[in-house]
Amino acid sequence: MAWATRKDWGNPYRPYLGTLVGVRDLATDIKMFQVELDDAEARKDFAYRPGQFAFVSAFGVGEAPFGLTSTPLRGPVLEFAVNKVGTVTSALHGLGEGDTVGVRGPFGNWFPLDEMKGKNVILLGGGIGGAPLRPVIHTILDNRADYGKLAILWAARSPSLLVFTEEFDDWRAAPHTELHLTVDRGDETWTDNVGLITELLDQVAPSPENAVTVTCGPPIMIKFTLLTLEKLGFTPEQMIVTLEAKMKCGMGKCGRCNLGEKYVCTDGPVFSYVEVARFLESF
Amino acid sequence: MNATTRESLLAWLDGLSKSMTLIAPQAVEEQICYRPIAESSEIVLDFGRTDLPAKEYFLPSTHVLFSIERGDKGVSIEEPSLERERVVFGLRPCDARALRVLDALFLEEEPVDPYYAERREKTTLIGLACREMSPECFCTSLGLAPDDASDVDLMLTEVDGGYAVQVVTEKGRVLLGDLIMEEWEGTLPQVTGREELPILEAEAWPQHFNHAYWAHLADRCLSCRLCTYLCPTCRCFDVRDYETPNRDIERVCAWDSCLAEGYRRIAGGHDPRPTKMERLRNRFYCKFCYYPKDFGPIACVGCGRCIAKCPVNVDIAEVLESVAAL
Repeated sequence: MAWATRKDWGNPYRPYLGTLVGVRDLATDIKMFQVELDDAEARKDFAYRPGQFAFVSAFGVGEAPFGLTSTPLRGPVLEFAVNKVGTVTSALHGLGEGDTVGVRGPFGNWFPLDEMKGKNVILLGGGIGGAPLRPVIHTILDNRADYGKLAILWAARSPSLLVFTEEFDDWRAAPHTELHLTVDRGDETWTDNVGLITELLDQVAPSPENAVTVTCGPPIMIKFTLLTLEKLGFTPEQMIVTLEAKMKCGMGKCGRCNLGEKYVCTDGPVFSYVEVARFLESF
Repeated sequence: MNATTRESLLAWLDGLSKSMTLIAPQAVEEQICYRPIAESSEIVLDFGRTDLPAKEYFLPSTHVLFSIERGDKGVSIEEPSLERERVVFGLRPCDARALRVLDALFLEEEPVDPYYAERREKTTLIGLACREMSPECFCTSLGLAPDDASDVDLMLTEVDGGYAVQVVTEKGRVLLGDLIMEEWEGTLPQVTGREELPILEAEAWPQHFNHAYWAHLADRCLSCRLCTYLCPTCRCFDVRDYETPNRDIERVCAWDSCLAEGYRRIAGGHDPRPTKMERLRNRFYCKFCYYPKDFGPIACVGCGRCIAKCPVNVDIAEVLESVAAL
């Protein structure tokens, strides 16, 4: 299933070459990288869906996996939101427009956007972890009549770490769409909520009726958010998460990302809480 | 069945080595390892099991996935390829079965690993039946036998000062070429197996996941990773870039081990498997529960290397017995 979006893999370790056509700051130490694949054939091969991920290479340093934060139907430019936390991400942060990167993918499964049609959607994003939700938001906004109410709960440790702030007005302006923000610690200009996303969730208290939730963020945030959703009456079937893991190949071979018998790269990264609850190991 | 003499066999191997890479057991600083050899006199024919399995010829400890050249016209990627056909001589049945175990992941799961596939495709396997089982061997508990010919192309068994020759595959028949053989009418020697170990079905493992046994077992583990590197079926790998002295870049694939601290740690510091107990437990669950569930075969062939070499006597056979008794 995970391979359905790409037909011919050739050498699956070999990245496509791509050119950075845009690099901009999203938040403190977080940059948005826009990549156009150099080869026209590759652009056609790289058919992906919201939720999938790809490896981005900073040649000479290595590659790391990132959730695709662009929306396939909005154009061929691939977008990755990259937080500077390790060697590869630091090397990527040193690159600029016109530089060459490698892109290998798309890997993994995707959000069940078709099954979500007709339902109220609650999206919970924590920091940079919320990046894979952006294409979900775009898809819903671009097909607004297909979905019920949309509630976006968007959190970060501090105001300067909130991502996609420049899109907030568009999100708020969409019909039947709410955006709720919170930060762990505010600053002198912050007038919105202060506190964990679980507190915000308690406060917004969305109804579980005909609803589906998608949670993306750091593991600790996912764990507590799922508990809060449970408390609000959501069933495991209504809770979707994306998980991150250290991985080297993206195709179940390197052995790095297993949670018991499941691989985050090929069985995920999108899981329902029904599956998560059955994992032998904690994520 | 046909048989050949030791002299004819060695002369034939010398012939093969002219057109292909011959990999055979060789003594390297008191260890017996599979090494590319120049002439048959270097081959060790008298050995129990090699100290290292032949895994490294299919999944090398380090290999270049591609090189990246940064020139005036930008970046270009060059993939290496194996230039010669190869023969691995003297493969024990357990090590041959280990390749089948790896095939289940690298060849039979999409997408195919092209490096592994090429190495497998270009290599002919000549098996050598075991004369006896070493004290640590337990292949017979895993549905194998010391004379099992099912995973090689040609199988040799020591008989009457020479070798009985079984042709197993077409690849083996083609390789046989001009080996001088005579009709042989004896019966192949039987090797007595040791008492079979109880091995739980994959489905029976999860119920023991949280048992205190694992912490007790891991208490003495040094996280040295020796068992994973010596294991013919352990396959975890890392991928990283390496800059060559002339400033080109090589992307290399290198062995890794799930026993290593920080193996699962993600950027930002979260580690879902932070303790030694969890990592050692993962190794056994991978072999007997996850791998069979995900890919088919049990990821252990009973070669006994990890038992023989573990500095603190973590004994996989003992683990199997203990888990079955939990």
